[in-house]
Amino acid sequence: MLRFWSIKVLRTVLTLWFVVTFTFVVLRTSGDPMMALLSPDALPDEIEQFRRQWGLDQPLFVQYLRYVGQMFTGNFGESLRTHQPVIEIILDRLPATLLLGLLSFALAAIIGIPAGVVAAVRRGGAVDRLLMALAVFGFAVPNFFLGICLILLFSLMLQVLPSSGTGTFWHLIMPVLTLGTATAGTLARFTRSAMLEQLEKPYMRAAMAKGVPAWKRIYLHAFPNAAIPIVTVIGLNLGQLIAGSIVVETVFAWPGIGRLLVSAVSSRDLAVVQGLVLVIAFTMVMANLIVDLVYGLLDPRIRGGAR
Amino acid sequence: MITRRDFGKYSAGAGALTLAAGAKPLYAQDRPTLTIAVDNLWANINTINGISTSTRRFFPNIYSLLVEQDYINDPNGVQLKPGLATEWSRDGKVWTIKLREGVKFHDGTTMTAEDVAFTLGPERLWGDEPFEPRGKTFTEGFVRVEAVDDLTVEIETDKVDPYIPGKLTGYIGFVVPKAAYLEMGVDAFGQMPIGTGPYKVTKFDSGEVLEIEAFDEYWDGPPPAAKVIWKIVPEFAARMAGVVSGEFDFMYNIPTDQMSQLESYDNVTVAYALAGNYPAVGFNCLPDPEDNPLVDVRLRKALVQSVDMDAIVTALFGELTYHPEVPFNWTEYGPFYDPDMPNPLPYDPEAAKALIAETDYDGEELDWHITRQFYPNYEAAAEIMVEMWREVGLNVKANVLDNFQLVYERPWHMQNFSNSTAFIPGDPYRPLWLDWGPASGRAREDSRTRTWEPTPEYLAAGEKFLNAVEFEERKEAYLELSAAWQEVTPCMYLWKSVYNWAHRADVTWVPRPDGEMRMFGEYLTLPA
Repeated sequence: MLRFWSIKVLRTVLTLWFVVTFTFVVLRTSGDPMMALLSPDALPDEIEQFRRQWGLDQPLFVQYLRYVGQMFTGNFGESLRTHQPVIEIILDRLPATLLLGLLSFALAAIIGIPAGVVAAVRRGGAVDRLLMALAVFGFAVPNFFLGICLILLFSLMLQVLPSSGTGTFWHLIMPVLTLGTATAGTLARFTRSAMLEQLEKPYMRAAMAKGVPAWKRIYLHAFPNAAIPIVTVIGLNLGQLIAGSIVVETVFAWPGIGRLLVSAVSSRDLAVVQGLVLVIAFTMVMANLIVDLVYGLLDPRIRGGAR
Repeated sequence: MITRRDFGKYSAGAGALTLAAGAKPLYAQDRPTLTIAVDNLWANINTINGISTSTRRFFPNIYSLLVEQDYINDPNGVQLKPGLATEWSRDGKVWTIKLREGVKFHDGTTMTAEDVAFTLGPERLWGDEPFEPRGKTFTEGFVRVEAVDDLTVEIETDKVDPYIPGKLTGYIGFVVPKAAYLEMGVDAFGQMPIGTGPYKVTKFDSGEVLEIEAFDEYWDGPPPAAKVIWKIVPEFAARMAGVVSGEFDFMYNIPTDQMSQLESYDNVTVAYALAGNYPAVGFNCLPDPEDNPLVDVRLRKALVQSVDMDAIVTALFGELTYHPEVPFNWTEYGPFYDPDMPNPLPYDPEAAKALIAETDYDGEELDWHITRQFYPNYEAAAEIMVEMWREVGLNVKANVLDNFQLVYERPWHMQNFSNSTAFIPGDPYRPLWLDWGPASGRAREDSRTRTWEPTPEYLAAGEKFLNAVEFEERKEAYLELSAAWQEVTPCMYLWKSVYNWAHRADVTWVPRPDGEMRMFGEYLTLPA
């Protein structure tokens, strides 16, 4: 077990190191941030003054070593635009994104998983077809399009919900619905497939022959066995919780790190982009770790294999 | 629909209505909070480091100018009026500026000549390693700025400069408090600045929101709103829905094809102003790339003559704006503007073909770098222009790129940009000299936006223009300078930009051609 977790942690560290290094090199070799930060006709003195101030006049490996060294002390640098510490900027925005992401994820799970189960149980029927059509619609409609449609309907025409921003429960409804719809669709599709596979297994026929009630066969026999692929999809979606919020946060002016990433990339605010990529990579890696842990809990054979 | 000719009439009318309403005492509890949906803010709100179209919109609410342009009584803003400076006079190369007495900064200190001298001085703008280096562009020729007494400042220039009061209507005219600025440092000041304007900054997060609150010690009386919130809402649909539903009081940057949609709502008023700004196609006149066909001026003139710009502007903007036929012969230049000036390069496809035939051009592709969705309707115009050029045998490829950094990456033959006329009210100094002269980014060898080399004729006319003190002399030099520029034709101006806004219908508000959104004074009247 110790070896299993040691390998997992080592992989996590290596992944994060790779992400940091890759992002660092790509960001600094793909263009000069001063060109985005200063006016097009900035004087050479002005450009040099900025470069010196931010250490961008140093060789790349010197900048890299300094950055990695600072990271170990919890210093992720300062924003080139606002001069604030990156960690402060990210921590300021993170709660809004987590609130939006977790609520939409909960909504998706509450709708998507039961819908998948019902569709599988009613396979081939009208309910199945209706639910799957909705699921396909859910993940096929682009976030930005659905978001704008909701704004036009609920804010412009009906005038019952605020069009953007944050602050009240009502501000949450449209962003959560927009972000949760695609995940709900995906979960419903995967749950249906996984449940169908289990419902056709011999042990389900045996349970039916023994007279086990339908709800018990579905929720206590089939569903736990179908959980492994569902957990995998949940893990993937959980990992994308932050990355997936970029479009929705922009459409609804939601003050989270998705919007921060968009503005930081467009202004080539290197330190902020670097910090955000690290946070996104970290959530992906942590989601994978959690999925591995849940696999072990759900299936003792995986724990045994690990041992 | 308001036509551009009506604009001045309505502006003046709105101003008169406001004046007629008379001033009432205002109490914080009676005043509303206004929310303005904006598409972006800027990273800092220093008066110079923070220069951008988005900051100019709210700067006058935070900072006051030394000298004001009177847009209420003069739609072109050529007429000047006192701001923080009450009088100004010139003796040779020295301007003496008298300051308003008893003006308070937001931190409670009183503005003195020391603050103004620091605001305009070398330490901040034009010395070695100044706090806000871009200030050098706007203080060319300054050799001394000195506080003579508590309320008098002298500005000395290296040659006679009759346009200093006009220059003080621009960004350099926003006064900052010396002590607070030095104590906070330029970066911190840019995040929580202190001015003498009608509102003080209480919250600024460049990615989210700017909140300003009424400053009742404002030298021109308390402002009409208790608080003004400038909130970033990137998506147009959300801004529009917010204004229609009453969530927001103002919004700006409306796509021209959406203006009629907004006008259809009874509770919304759409306002617009023709801006002192002209989007353009810049021609690369230099042999970079080496085989650049556009080094031949005849080809550049053919590019101009083969495009029916009037038809394009009418198709894209309707009556909102127009194509300025002769470069630099623009209405905002007041007495310099000549409505009868002949167009040296009118739309004439046959003449364009003849010019092309005289050159060695053999259908080589001309790469036109365009910034995606930066100038309204630019890409749509580009599509039509490319087809018009194809008709006369010019092979232009419109290459739409994500940002200016990519646009400036060479090689390219043509490029989008815009020129602003704001600097000296009623004078063609900018862009004719400031933006095209030898010290400009378009001409400097070390500049990434370099596209031309000023000719000896242009430089000689420029010298004459800079030294001209009397109007007639300056106008003559301006005509020579403009002719020398047109001889080279390093760009083609497309149309006069349009700023537009939507706001609550029960609010009376006067838009300005410089894009400023003044939430005070004669510009804003809120319902009782």
